[in-house]
Amino acid sequence: MGTTASQLGKDLLSEYQELTFLTKQEILLAHKRFTELLPKEDRTVQSTTRLSMEKILSMPELKSNPFRKRICHVFSTSDTKDGSLTFEDFLDLLSAFSDSATLEIKSHYAFRIFDFDDDGTLDGGDLEKLVNCLTGETDDTRLTPEEMRQLIRNILEESDIDKDGTVNLSEFQHVISRSPDFVSSFKIVL
Amino acid sequence: MLSLLLENIFFTWLGITSVSGPVYQITFIYGASLVCWMDCINISAARDRELTGDFSVVESTECLMELSELHRQTSATGNSYHGASQSVRLRSKSVASNQNGPTFNWGSSPTQGEVQNESGPFLDLRERPLPMHLKRAIREVQQMRVPVVTSWQSWQRSKAKSLSRFRAEAGGIFSYIILWRKALHKIGGHFGGGVQSYFMFLRFLVVLNFMSFMLIAAFVLIPSIVFKSTSTTNMTIGSTGQEKCKEYNPNPQGLVLFYQYFLDLLSGTGFMEYSYLFYGYYNDTVVDNSGFHYNLPLAYLLTSVFYFAFCLICIIARMGSTLHVAVATSSGAIGTYSKIMFTGWDYDCRGDQATKLKQKSIHYQLQVELEEQRLQTMTASLTLGQTVGLYSLRVFLMFLSFTFIVAAFFGIFEATTFSQGQVGASGILGLIWQYLPSIVITTGNFVVPLLCDQIARFEGYSPSTTIILALFRSVFLRMVSLGVLLFTLWSNITCFKDSQPCQLCQYNQKDYPCWETSVGQEMYKLTMFDFLITIAMLILVEFPRRLFVDHCSCALTRWVGRQEFLVPANVLGLVYGQTVVWTGALFCPLLPVINTLKFFLLFYCKKVTLFSNCCPPVKTFRSTTSTIFFLVVLLFGWGLALVAMIYSLAQIHPSQSCGPFRSLSTMWEIVPSTFYTLSLLTQSFLFYMGSQAFSIPLFVFSCVVLCYVAALAAVYGNSVNLLKAQLKLEGRDKQFLVKQIEELSQKIGVQMRDKADTFDSGAAH
Repeated sequence: MGTTASQLGKDLLSEYQELTFLTKQEILLAHKRFTELLPKEDRTVQSTTRLSMEKILSMPELKSNPFRKRICHVFSTSDTKDGSLTFEDFLDLLSAFSDSATLEIKSHYAFRIFDFDDDGTLDGGDLEKLVNCLTGETDDTRLTPEEMRQLIRNILEESDIDKDGTVNLSEFQHVISRSPDFVSSFKIVL
Repeated sequence: MLSLLLENIFFTWLGITSVSGPVYQITFIYGASLVCWMDCINISAARDRELTGDFSVVESTECLMELSELHRQTSATGNSYHGASQSVRLRSKSVASNQNGPTFNWGSSPTQGEVQNESGPFLDLRERPLPMHLKRAIREVQQMRVPVVTSWQSWQRSKAKSLSRFRAEAGGIFSYIILWRKALHKIGGHFGGGVQSYFMFLRFLVVLNFMSFMLIAAFVLIPSIVFKSTSTTNMTIGSTGQEKCKEYNPNPQGLVLFYQYFLDLLSGTGFMEYSYLFYGYYNDTVVDNSGFHYNLPLAYLLTSVFYFAFCLICIIARMGSTLHVAVATSSGAIGTYSKIMFTGWDYDCRGDQATKLKQKSIHYQLQVELEEQRLQTMTASLTLGQTVGLYSLRVFLMFLSFTFIVAAFFGIFEATTFSQGQVGASGILGLIWQYLPSIVITTGNFVVPLLCDQIARFEGYSPSTTIILALFRSVFLRMVSLGVLLFTLWSNITCFKDSQPCQLCQYNQKDYPCWETSVGQEMYKLTMFDFLITIAMLILVEFPRRLFVDHCSCALTRWVGRQEFLVPANVLGLVYGQTVVWTGALFCPLLPVINTLKFFLLFYCKKVTLFSNCCPPVKTFRSTTSTIFFLVVLLFGWGLALVAMIYSLAQIHPSQSCGPFRSLSTMWEIVPSTFYTLSLLTQSFLFYMGSQAFSIPLFVFSCVVLCYVAALAAVYGNSVNLLKAQLKLEGRDKQFLVKQIEELSQKIGVQMRDKADTFDSGAAH
C-alpha cells in the first residue's frame, strides 16, 4: 500500500549512475530484482543487507552459468568470504557485465573470475579448472589427461610472454585485447 | 621501472662493497628493498599501468618512502633486526590479508595514486575495478580536494557532465526505437553469436532497403506521380522511318480471366507491367514551370547512380569498426587456444540446455583445434610419394567440382534462352516457363554444394580449410549463376547470336518491345521465387522434419536429427537476394520496397523456424569475423550489380517505345546534354576538375598520404615488437632477482646462525 519501503532515493540513484556503467532503468530493475530475492518479512534494502550466495544463484541469469560461484566470490565484499552480496556488490557485478563497461574493466574481472586460487596469476591448476568449467564434466565432454596437458601447454606457449609458467593480468589483457568478440560475450543483462 | 632497477643495482653494489660495519644490516636492507619492490610490482599490476611514465614515478616514490621508513627503524632501535623484519613481515601480511593462504589483495591499490591523477575527469571512477565503498571513498576525497582550475576549465567540466547525462538519456530513449532489439537479444542468448549475427545482418539489409526506397520515392516516384500529365514525346530525335520501334502494347486485350490476375501478380506481366513498378511506365517529362525545373530522366539516372553509392557507403561504414578491430587483431597472431579458453564463453547463455550445448560446442572446437595440430604434424611427416599422391588427388577433385559448377551454368543459359523464347504461352505452363531460369538457379544452388561437400570429404583438408573452401565455392556458384542469367538476357537483347532482328532499332525490338521492363520482370520473378521457395521449404521440409524426429524414434530419425541452422547458407541466400535487387533497381524502381517487405517477413519466418525446429549449431561461426565475411560477400554482389548497371547505362540502346530515355541513344547521354546547358563558368570549372592539371597532383598527393600512413603503421608494429621483447626481459629480470633473494636469505640465515653461535659462545665465557 502506498510507497514501498524499498524505493531508491534520487541522490543515491544519481550516485550509482556516476559510479557504475548502468543506466537509470537498469539500476531500478536491479533494485527490483534484488528486493524480490529478499525474505518477505524484511524487504528494506540498506547498505548492509546481504543476500546469501544460494539466493543469488537462484536467479535465472546465473543459475546455469558454470562460473556462478566464482562470480559471487569475486564481487563479494563480505568479511567471511561466503560469497554473499550487498546491493552495491550486486550493482558492481551488473556494471562489470553491462553493455557499456570498458574492455579494461571486463578483462580485469574476467581474470579474477578465472583465478580459482586467488593468487593473482593463472597457473596450470587454474587453467585446468577453467577447461573443466568450459567443457563441462560430463563423460562425453571430458578431455583425456594427455589432451589436457597438450592444451595447457599450448595455452601457456601462446599467452605466457615472460615464460614464468603462469599468465598474469597484463598477459591476459594482451590476449583479450586481440579478441574482438570478448566485449560482446562478457555480458549479463537482466 | 628503470629507476628501480638502478636503485637495486646500487644497493647490490653497496652490499658487496661494504667491508666494515654491520654487513648483514645492509644486505638485509637490500633484501627488504627487494621485497618492497616486488610489492610495488604487484600493486602496479593491479593498477594496469606498467608502461606509462606515471608508474615509475609513483612506484619509486612509494618504495623510497618504504626504504626510508626501514632505514629509520634500523638506525633508531637497537633491536633493529627484529624491528625491520617485523615491518617487512607486516608489509607482506598486508598482501596476504586472508587466512585462506596467500591470496592476492586486489583492493590494496592505494589512494596514493590519486596524487598523480589530478587531471582525471570524474568518469575515471567507473573504470576502476574497485568495490563500491572504495569508489565512494575516492570520490569523497576527490571532492574534498578543491582543485585549482580556471573558470574556463570548470565551465568545460560542467558542460561535459551535462553532455554525458544528455547522452545517457538519449541512449535510453533510443533503445526503444531500435528494431527487434529484444528478439535479437533472445536469439543470442539461446543460439549464440553466430546465429545472432545472421539476424543482425538481416536487420541491416531491411533498414538499407527501406532507406533506398525513401531515396527513390523522393526523387523518382513522387515527381513522376505529380507530373504525370506532361509527356513530351515530340522530343524524339531522328524519328524518320522508325515508327515500328515505338510500338508497345502492354495493356491486356479483351476479357481477362480471373486467375490470370494471380499469375500476373507472380510474374509481373499483364496489369502489373504498365505500372509504376517497371521502367516502362515512366515518361521523359521535363518540367519547366516558372522558376521550377525538374528533369525526370536525369533524376531517374542520377538517383540510380546515387543509390549504388549510398549502399556502398552504408556497407563500408558498417564494416568500418569491425574491420579496424580485425586488422589490429590479425597482426599479432594470438593463438586460437587462448582465444577459445579466455573469450569463448558466452555469459548471457541461459538455461541448462543452452549451457550444455555451449559446453559441447567449446569441446568440439577444442577437439577440432587439437585435430588440426595432429594433422599438421602428420602431413609434415609424409613421404614424398604420399604428398604427390595427395596433391594430385586434390587437383582432380577440384577439377571435378569445377565441372559440376560449369554444368550448372550451362543449364541456366539453356533455361533462360528457352524461357525467353516461350513468351507467348499462358496458363500454369506459361508460368512455369516464365519461372524456368529461377527454378534452374535455385536447383543448381541447392544440388551443386551438396555434391561438392561429398567431394570435399575425400580431399583431406583440415576442417577450417574445408569450411572456407565450401563457402567460396557456394559464393562463386551463386554470383556467377546470376551473372550467367544476366549475360544470357543481354545477349538476347543485343543480338549476340544473329544480328538480324537488331538492324532496325539497335536492339531486339521483335522479342523485347520494352526490354528494360522485361529485365525488370525477370528480377522481380527471381525475388518472388526466392521468397516463395523459402516459405515452401519452411512449411514442407522443416516443420515435417521436426514432427518426424520428435514423434518417431527409429534409427533413421537419430541419423537425420533436428535441423541445424546453417548460418553461411542462409547468409548467402540473403546476399543473393540483395544482389538481385541491386541489379533490378534500375529497371524496377519499386523493387527495394518489395525487398524490404520480403526481408521483414523473412525475419519473422526464420525466427519461428529457429525456435521451433532448429537445434543450436555445434560448429560455431565466430561473430566478428563472420560479420566482415558477410559484408565482403555483399560487396561482391554489389560489384556484380554495378557492372550490369554500367553496361546497361553506357552500351545498350534504350527502348524507343517506353521509359524516360526513349529519345536518347544511350541512357548516359542525358548527363552530357544537361551538362552543356549549365553556365559556361560551371562548365569550365568542371572541365578543369577532370583534366590532368588537377587529377595528377591529386593522385601524387594521395600517394604521399598513403606512404605516410604505411610508414606510421610500420612504426607502430615495430614498437609493439619492442615492447613485447621488453616484457620478456622484465620477466627474466624478475626471476633473476627472485633467485638472488633466495640466495641472500639463505646467506643471512647462515650468518645469523654463526652470529648467534659466536654470541652464545661469547656469553658463555
